[in-house]
Amino acid sequence: MSDPGDTNALRGEVLPVAIFAAIALTMPLWFPWIGGYSGLDTKILIFVIFVLGFDLLLGFTGYLSFGHAAFFGTSAYTTGLTLLHFSAEIIPAMLMSVLVTFVLALLIGLLLTKRTGIYFAILTLAFASMLYRAALSIFSDWTGGDNGLTGLPTPVLFGQPLHDTPMFLLVAAFAILGFWIALRIARSPFGLMLRAIKSNQERLAYTGVDVSLYKLWGFIVSGLYGGVAGSLMVIYEPYVATHFLHWTMSGEVVIMAVIGGVGTLIGPMIGAGFMMYFENVASAWIGEQWLLVLGLLFVLIMMYMPGGFMEGGRRLRAWFRHRRGIADAPTPEENDTHG
Amino acid sequence: MSNAVFLQLLTGLQLGAIYMLIALGLTLIFGTLGVVNFAHGALFMLGAYLGVIIAGETGFLLAILLVPPLLFLIGLLLERGIIQHFYDRPHTDQILVTFGIAIVVQEALKWIFGANNIPFPTPSWGSGVVMLHEYLPFLDGIVVYPQWRLILVVVSLVTVLALFGLLQFTRFGLVVRAGMRDSEILRFLGINIERRFAIVFGLGAGIAGIAGLFGGPVTQVYPGIGMAYLVPSFLVVVIGGMGSVPGAVLAALLLGMALSFSAEYSNIQQIIIYLIAVIVLLVRPRGLLGKKGVLE
Repeated sequence: MSDPGDTNALRGEVLPVAIFAAIALTMPLWFPWIGGYSGLDTKILIFVIFVLGFDLLLGFTGYLSFGHAAFFGTSAYTTGLTLLHFSAEIIPAMLMSVLVTFVLALLIGLLLTKRTGIYFAILTLAFASMLYRAALSIFSDWTGGDNGLTGLPTPVLFGQPLHDTPMFLLVAAFAILGFWIALRIARSPFGLMLRAIKSNQERLAYTGVDVSLYKLWGFIVSGLYGGVAGSLMVIYEPYVATHFLHWTMSGEVVIMAVIGGVGTLIGPMIGAGFMMYFENVASAWIGEQWLLVLGLLFVLIMMYMPGGFMEGGRRLRAWFRHRRGIADAPTPEENDTHG
Repeated sequence: MSNAVFLQLLTGLQLGAIYMLIALGLTLIFGTLGVVNFAHGALFMLGAYLGVIIAGETGFLLAILLVPPLLFLIGLLLERGIIQHFYDRPHTDQILVTFGIAIVVQEALKWIFGANNIPFPTPSWGSGVVMLHEYLPFLDGIVVYPQWRLILVVVSLVTVLALFGLLQFTRFGLVVRAGMRDSEILRFLGINIERRFAIVFGLGAGIAGIAGLFGGPVTQVYPGIGMAYLVPSFLVVVIGGMGSVPGAVLAALLLGMALSFSAEYSNIQQIIIYLIAVIVLLVRPRGLLGKKGVLE
């Protein structure tokens, strides 16, 4: 698609990935300055991976999933069980988790991707609820039921226990790779198909494209991001909480993506950072009601700024440009229409 | 019929009744306004909390007079303040904004009343048991059932019939049903369809209030019940067919019975309604009584 040396490729992929990598890798240096504690940076990057996958689905195909916790949680349990019963090495655990997530996404996708948006949202929520219920009842012998999966060994990579910095670097590597792949997808013919599904899937179907196949693959890729995130979560903190499968986990990733700006990839990543920061740091001065404040913010954004923080940024830029004088810039809105 | 089977049928009816009451408002709002209301569980929960407070202060009878109209008012304000701006936006935006409202309501209730369960005693006139064997000669031996649960079933049936009557036999119902078909034409005819849409949203909220008030003593009252009951109620709507009131009634009965008859196998009972939903939707993608063209 792109020639080597294409400046477009530089602007489109290399530069954003480089900037993100710089921000992510230096996080342990600057994050404590704004009140973040050590370890929260790792968690934020895990959720960055999760929300990138969510945005590939909602932002590109327009399909709203309320059950992404199914992937995060199932993968977390798989990682936990593999660490517990097979080996404390993380590579088999992660491979196993990705495999299980793939099969799960394939099954749910086959059942649901022929559905329209509303059915899809409700049924993904239902599927995730079923898995949550099943983990607490039918599978409680394996999952530890209400207590979650405890007593996991310290995860190791080639025999080296993963702590602080190596752990952070591992997660950061996955986040940077995840962002790069997401950008590649966004700019690929596959990504174009996903966007076409969002704008008008009937018309796409009339041109002879197998729409449901693209939807299915979009759903699977999105789920795999959730699976990687869930697996890393357990490697980071060797414990599987039942709420990894709960609808609140799906809700969190929805909130992150929406307040950041759906469909922009960068926005949801900012949203993930914002929400985790809000939950863990800002809650100290807001108090127990941080989620209430976040909920209000969410409703206000839906009403007045549906493009989230990214739209806010664009509006602010347009406003500054407007103030600088209309005389030297007769068509100031030109560049802003491209999302 | 043995006593055990009869009691299971009755329990199924009672379990279905509460889902039916919640699903009724959901399907009414969806069928009329095309809005998938993720805040409906929160409205149900508001009904339960208002019920506990008002019943505790002034007695249950006054709560019956106050809670449904209060929820009607809240629904009206919600529609005028927020929902009406979303009719022309994508369905996903409607889902998202109502999800936001649900979080705000849930967290506000948690803030004010705490996260723990608030005991909701049944009123003295409804807290006894009914000697069923005195009325039903085919039962042998002594068969009793909690009175409140029977009241819940009766209230659900009355609400369904009242709503059905309102939609089928009144001029208001005629206009609303016409609006479901083609609101554009109604606007051309000079009918204020917006006002009626607001009233329908209020009605849906009012029914959620009835569900919260009469269901509260059975379901418990804590900030998580909204979401806990929303998911099964969505399934009732989807299984019944989106926007179909008779479908919701049928699906609620089906799920209630499934829950009741699987009670001996508690592992299965936890997931039975989801399994039924998957099977029904594989066989009939539009749900049991869903109409072609709705949502497609």
